[in-house]
Amino acid sequence: MIKASNLSYFIGKKPILQDIDFSVQKNDFVLIFGQNGAGKSTLLKVLAGIVSAQKGSISIAGKNIHDYSRKELATMLTYLPQSDEFVLPIMVKDVLLSGRYPYGSLFQNFSHRDHALFHEAVEYFSLGDLVNRNILTLSGGERQKVMLATAFIQDVPIILFDEPMNFLDPGSIFQMIKMLQGLQRLGKTIVLVSHLIEYFFPYASKLLALKNGKKYYFGEKKFCPELFKAIYQVDYKRFFAENREIIFVNE
Amino acid sequence: MSMNKKIWLLGLVVLILLIFSPFWGTIRLNWQTIFANDSNSFIFWHLRIPRVLLGFVAGSILALSGLICQNLFKNNLATPDILGISSGAAAGAVISIKFKLHFSFFGMGSIYIFSYLGALSAVLFIFFMARMIKNSSLYTILMSGVAINFFFSSIIVFFQYIFDFSDTFSLVRWLMGGISVAGYREAMFLSVLLLLFLLLVFLFKREFLLISAGDDFAQSKGLNITNFRIFSFLGLALFVGAVVSTCGPIGFVALIVPHLSRLWGSSQYTQTVLFSVLLGGGLLVLADLLARILIAPVDIPVGIVTSLLGAPFFLFLLFAQLKKTN
Repeated sequence: MIKASNLSYFIGKKPILQDIDFSVQKNDFVLIFGQNGAGKSTLLKVLAGIVSAQKGSISIAGKNIHDYSRKELATMLTYLPQSDEFVLPIMVKDVLLSGRYPYGSLFQNFSHRDHALFHEAVEYFSLGDLVNRNILTLSGGERQKVMLATAFIQDVPIILFDEPMNFLDPGSIFQMIKMLQGLQRLGKTIVLVSHLIEYFFPYASKLLALKNGKKYYFGEKKFCPELFKAIYQVDYKRFFAENREIIFVNE
Repeated sequence: MSMNKKIWLLGLVVLILLIFSPFWGTIRLNWQTIFANDSNSFIFWHLRIPRVLLGFVAGSILALSGLICQNLFKNNLATPDILGISSGAAAGAVISIKFKLHFSFFGMGSIYIFSYLGALSAVLFIFFMARMIKNSSLYTILMSGVAINFFFSSIIVFFQYIFDFSDTFSLVRWLMGGISVAGYREAMFLSVLLLLFLLLVFLFKREFLLISAGDDFAQSKGLNITNFRIFSFLGLALFVGAVVSTCGPIGFVALIVPHLSRLWGSSQYTQTVLFSVLLGGGLLVLADLLARILIAPVDIPVGIVTSLLGAPFFLFLLFAQLKKTN
């Protein structure tokens, strides 16, 4: 689905990403982690085609990312930034429908499929009370839910998600995780950047650890305390309870 | 009150204003003059009516350009006046007037063409600043707009200063903003532009919504933000240049109206657009009416009225809002 080879990205002469390669299969759930400034967010932006790497290449579904038009790319993947940038009032309904932008054209109204997906998303994410509200009046958790629903409506095979749980309360975090799991069950490929490995580790299928802009580990998910220690300098432990795998910091 | 009701009510108020304001001025007209055939009837049909019409369409275009500018920059302060697009247009017009460059191009006068070029150069400058400083925040772009505003303002003053004073008075009068000297031709020209502007604003509704939601968001939904910004800026320069070349730089309408539309109106795109168009047109007609009657027989330049009343009103609104949030 995604194949990155020898990606390097510099700001001025400072390397942010160096020689990163990995490949993601359909329906993978990749958890990217690493210290602050390790290049996680930049990597996600490069994958989303928002910034382009000076060296290396990315192919999405077998085609080079630069051979896609912006609109075509938006039918393959979507990117959810760390925090949204809403400053002007917009109706939640319009935000959601903007997920259908890549499928529309100038003189075309929304199609049946657009409306069908919209209603499906409203139901799936239980947004019934929010659709006719101004996005600026929503709480952080509600906004994230709307953003995730927009990605759902966009109906793309790949979702890139940057630190989705920033500023969310535990209830909202688990609601969000449930929704991500739901999206994965629908066959989506999810690439997620987060520090909160305690939360996401159980659901991930692959891990990508970054250290100082370089790939430190990439591969199938496995519980490897040495890896976590190398990245975060703390000891992680694991136990199983009620059929669940739980990892935690043991200091 | 529902939003649709508010729009109808505003429309009704504006309509009443449009119907009654031509009768007021230095010379008070009564309704019989409409059908008479005397000098008063001439004033009514050939001075007041085009003036009121022009006031309405110019106000609407200014309000709409303010709204679109705010969407593009995601900032309530980003309006054509503050970004220097208006003063760029004015500087272009001043150069054309001062150097007596009179020609016409496809029926458009030299002043209009120079205004457009002035507005365009301001826009291009802002745009290239944005591209040069990579990862520049919108704040930086806004600041460079403020700088270009100062630059063009001093160009205007410079040309006024170094050239002879014979026509400076009319120039200064024009720079204060006025819609008194115009006729039907200008009113029609701007009406066509207003319709075109509205058409574009509705045609590109999805794009304007996307871009106001943030660059990353817009890109991830498939919008080519660079191309769309270039396209929008070229359009803005066209519309702002047209208004400035006929009415001079009229301040505050572009800043205040979108703000009020959001405050009193709704967060729905179509409604905000309609509200802004009606309110912008209505406010400029009202300001022009005040300009005619406040200290009649002196006809105050309407730009002075909008700034004089607009500035304190805007501050009042800001404080009212602050009080509400505290």
